Amino acid sequence: MSKSMMSKVGWIIFFIILWQILSVSDLFPKALFPSPVSVLVSLLGSTADGTMPRALAYSLELIGIGLLLGISLALIMSVFAKLSPVFASLVETCLSIAHPLPGIALLPLVILWVGVDSKAIIFIILHSVLWPLVQNLRAGFLAVPEVYLQVGYNMGLSPLKQILYISLPASLPYFLSGLEISWARAWRSLVSAEMIFGAAGGVGGIGWLIFKNRVFMDTPGLFASLSVMIVIGILVESILFRQLENRTIRKWGMYK
Amino acid sequence: MRNQIFIMLGLLLAVCLIIIGVTSKDQLVEPKRSTISIASQYGLAYAPLQIMERTSVLKDALPPGTLIVWKNLSNTAAIREAMLADEVDIGFMAIPPFLIGRQNGMQWKIASALCESPTGLVSSKNSIRSINDITEKDQIALPQPGSIQHILLSMASNKAFGDPAKFDDQLISLSHPDGYAAMLAKGDISLHFTTLPYLAQELAEPSFHQILSGENILGEPFSFIVGACPEKFHDGSPELYEGFLKALDETILWMENHPDETASMLAPIYGLEEDEIKYQLPQMRFDRTVRGLGPISDFMVESGLIDLPEQNQDALYFEGTLYE
Repeated sequence: MSKSMMSKVGWIIFFIILWQILSVSDLFPKALFPSPVSVLVSLLGSTADGTMPRALAYSLELIGIGLLLGISLALIMSVFAKLSPVFASLVETCLSIAHPLPGIALLPLVILWVGVDSKAIIFIILHSVLWPLVQNLRAGFLAVPEVYLQVGYNMGLSPLKQILYISLPASLPYFLSGLEISWARAWRSLVSAEMIFGAAGGVGGIGWLIFKNRVFMDTPGLFASLSVMIVIGILVESILFRQLENRTIRKWGMYK
Repeated sequence: MRNQIFIMLGLLLAVCLIIIGVTSKDQLVEPKRSTISIASQYGLAYAPLQIMERTSVLKDALPPGTLIVWKNLSNTAAIREAMLADEVDIGFMAIPPFLIGRQNGMQWKIASALCESPTGLVSSKNSIRSINDITEKDQIALPQPGSIQHILLSMASNKAFGDPAKFDDQLISLSHPDGYAAMLAKGDISLHFTTLPYLAQELAEPSFHQILSGENILGEPFSFIVGACPEKFHDGSPELYEGFLKALDETILWMENHPDETASMLAPIYGLEEDEIKYQLPQMRFDRTVRGLGPISDFMVESGLIDLPEQNQDALYFEGTLYE
């Protein structure tokens, strides 16, 4: 375990201790502030009866689809923008219009366009994934050292090959940090969309679970769902993305 | 490392002190003037409250100088949370959310019923004529799980299929106006469990029809909305509590005697014609006697939505609350 990991775990233990002290102190009603033990019991219960794993699998599946679609679209848009100035100005315009819009603000429109099933949630995830990626890729392309491009030019690479063999690999650090932002935004918009849409398409995801915990006043369950989301967030960030970085840009010496 | 542990402990202490400081502030500063905060939702069922808000009847019934705060919240969960946070003194909701709160340790009781109202499941599809025609692909819009509409749907599905949770994976949680819009859009949502005025508006659409009604499902009339009040407020501010109920009685009486003024006050709130309000209001019964709590509570226990049956129903009501 690395040192940074250890201090993160230390902070988590710190928060749990604080939490236990506060709940034992009886400063707040139990319905507002359950103890960590009751949250753990609720988490074990919902894991054993399958509700939590099912909701989580459903949510992660939607995020996976949204991320894949977003990454492919972002790559296509960025490559075309690099190739053609006209397309670049189109992407610029879309970016400045759509990027600041929160996915949830688009919800009424999405309901009209794609209905209220899982497609709508994927649409909102796609919206939150696409723009940060496009923006980061654009910054990455701009930051490619001129000398790399000159080398490619001297070797007689076509514009498309310039992008595929030089610009894209050279902007990998930007792409990866864009992906991290996209993931975080996708996760947030997924949960908010699910809390509004409900059990779209059969089973509900983790956002719907939180909403159900809320309406049935199951506060330990609410905390349990939140902790699962935190754990997933930490796992993805400190394991998946770190590993991805270590095996690519760090190994290749592009990034310290 | 050692230093870091000290820093952590210091932080822990600091956060505890801040939280204690922030929460105990309320007890130190005495409230300067007495306040009553009333929370309602959106719908004709809340008409007496909306009338009360627009007349002086409540102000006249309370001690002079009382601050009256009206809160219009979008769902019952929000009302419960506001009550737990001491932001709301009297909150109006259906019976199931009250029972769920009671089960989860909220110290509150029913002060009064507000009304009985038609509520029903509307279908926009010709192929759906009864509960048996609902397929797995049909999505059902209703305010939220645990709402009176959800409980009534569970009751109906329990009667028809022996499974109260049969439709639970097909629910879409939408407020009544959003559900109405979704039904008109004729998308994936082909069923809407709703209430007045949206129920009447939907049934006026060609090809829309009602397949279940609340009263048929339960088999008896029941209070659609009740007013719940934390014991702390009831015991601590009896003059405000009594004053509010007196004003409620007067408002209901006033509405009966002044249908035209009532309609003209309500029409702009819902964007409806006065005639439409005059047509819909008589379909409801504004009455302070609580009805139907027993069967609703029994069913919720049976289907596992709440776990403990209330041993003594009297304990759910404040003294003076009428119930059958």
